[in-house]
Amino acid sequence: MELVLDPLKCIECGACELACGYHWDRALSPVTSSIMVYRAREKKNYFGLILKQPEHLVLGRPEGIETQRIGAVTEGREADASAKPIMLREACDLCEGFDQGPLCVLFCPTAAITAA
Amino acid sequence: MGDLVNENVLLVDLASGETEEEMIDEEFFGEHLSGAAANLALYERHADGDPVVLGTGFLTGTLVPGGGAGVVTAKSPRTGVVCHAPLTLYLGAELKYAGFDFVVLKGAAQAPTCLWLHDGMADVKDGSSLWGKTAWEATDAIRRDLGEDVIQVLSMGPAAERGEPAAGLVANYWPTPDRFGFAGLLGKKNVKAVAIRGMGLFDLSDEEGFVAACMDLAAQAKELLSGKGGGVGPIAAAMGEDIASWLAPLTHRHKADFGTPYAANTFLATDQDPSVMQETQVAEPGMLLTDAGDVLALKALGMDAKQTARALAVCARQGVDPAAAARLAAEQGISDADSLEKALASMSCPAGDAPPGTMAALAPDRPVFGGFGDLSGEAARAEWWNRRQAVGAIFGMDPRFMCMAPFLTEEKLCELVSLGAGLTVDREKLDDAVNKVLGE
Repeated sequence: MELVLDPLKCIECGACELACGYHWDRALSPVTSSIMVYRAREKKNYFGLILKQPEHLVLGRPEGIETQRIGAVTEGREADASAKPIMLREACDLCEGFDQGPLCVLFCPTAAITAA
Repeated sequence: MGDLVNENVLLVDLASGETEEEMIDEEFFGEHLSGAAANLALYERHADGDPVVLGTGFLTGTLVPGGGAGVVTAKSPRTGVVCHAPLTLYLGAELKYAGFDFVVLKGAAQAPTCLWLHDGMADVKDGSSLWGKTAWEATDAIRRDLGEDVIQVLSMGPAAERGEPAAGLVANYWPTPDRFGFAGLLGKKNVKAVAIRGMGLFDLSDEEGFVAACMDLAAQAKELLSGKGGGVGPIAAAMGEDIASWLAPLTHRHKADFGTPYAANTFLATDQDPSVMQETQVAEPGMLLTDAGDVLALKALGMDAKQTARALAVCARQGVDPAAAARLAAEQGISDADSLEKALASMSCPAGDAPPGTMAALAPDRPVFGGFGDLSGEAARAEWWNRRQAVGAIFGMDPRFMCMAPFLTEEKLCELVSLGAGLTVDREKLDDAVNKVLGE
């Protein structure tokens, strides 16, 4: 099983971040999640999702998905400051130990995050 | 930190620039609950400082569908009554995660000020470089200076600096439903903006019970919203106006407030192809429509969707209540954004009749998707609306989603508070709080 992102369905509600944060902390916190809403371009209404997997970072941009190997340097591209915090967090473990499936999938209201 | 709350109030003495964190206990929450009702109690406690109170509810920033709003409470300069308006987008949740349940702004600063709330700390900063800026410029400057693009900013524009009665608060770049002149009140206090960034954590009293209940509600929300679309269109439709095809050519994407499964806001791309999803070099490609009522008011003047979006952007930059701007436009025979901008810059914008009641109208005065039973008759609908809005504002719920989700019953919300915060809220206590919030 893996998470599949459909960033154009994302509505920026942030429920995935809280749900994932609950998985890690058994508390409510938006800053420990393995998935985050990218929302640093508010005036442009440009937003999407970023998912940290064990070995990859999945960038769910509105124009499409890009998967980057963690640690790999892409020449000429600088990471956005708003995306850096996720590098310090745990990688998604698909809510291991929770038998109803990943919590972000259950809480995402628009199927922007699904499990396949 | 307690379950679901920070257990504190930040008192800001603007005259001295001093801040003080006052701890509040279970007795306070038991007596005054949270959100608008607690704001009101704090307003009364500090009434001699003509305070503006920013507050959060028990369910603000939680996994409860719609649990994302905060509330601002103050005595309206327009009505003389203590009123409440929602803190929209991420502002409410961000305030709570910044480490504060409530913020009381008392007195007036000697010079322009900006309040920066983060990590349980409050900095009263010099805001003189922000004075004179539009709300958009102020938000840009704050985010640039503090180094983060996701900081939430509650600000006022030049209209509030001039003391315009029709000035309205702005959330980041977008209008808020401040119909009560709260922005002008902040202007008199010399508070240009409140900047907020939240990175806290909240424990839950019964974590598994709370999350299971939220999961059940999330499933019901998905079922309710399936095939309903999003944005201001369906809300306008509930108000009797079908604007879907009017909006469609410019619609970019819909966007939700924090924690709310319905994306109630619609971004119209006025200066860029709306079908383009990748980031472009256009710095300000359009406008986020946050309030269907404002859209309908401008549309009624004969504006097309592009002019409406641009007019709303003018209002947001200047910090003018769009409803008041629409009245000015009607009086002056204005039907385009450029003329409205000139008019707003050169003349006082009439505030119009004082809005009725104590709750700001962001949500439509009727159910958006039905399901609330028989509400025929204006009186029944008004009673329903006031109660739903007051309950939502007490618990921290999105005002529009309260008019969409019948499964968010008062009993369910009280149960969630019990599971999350370990606090029992009985019917009598909730009735009492609602009556106080509604000024009854």
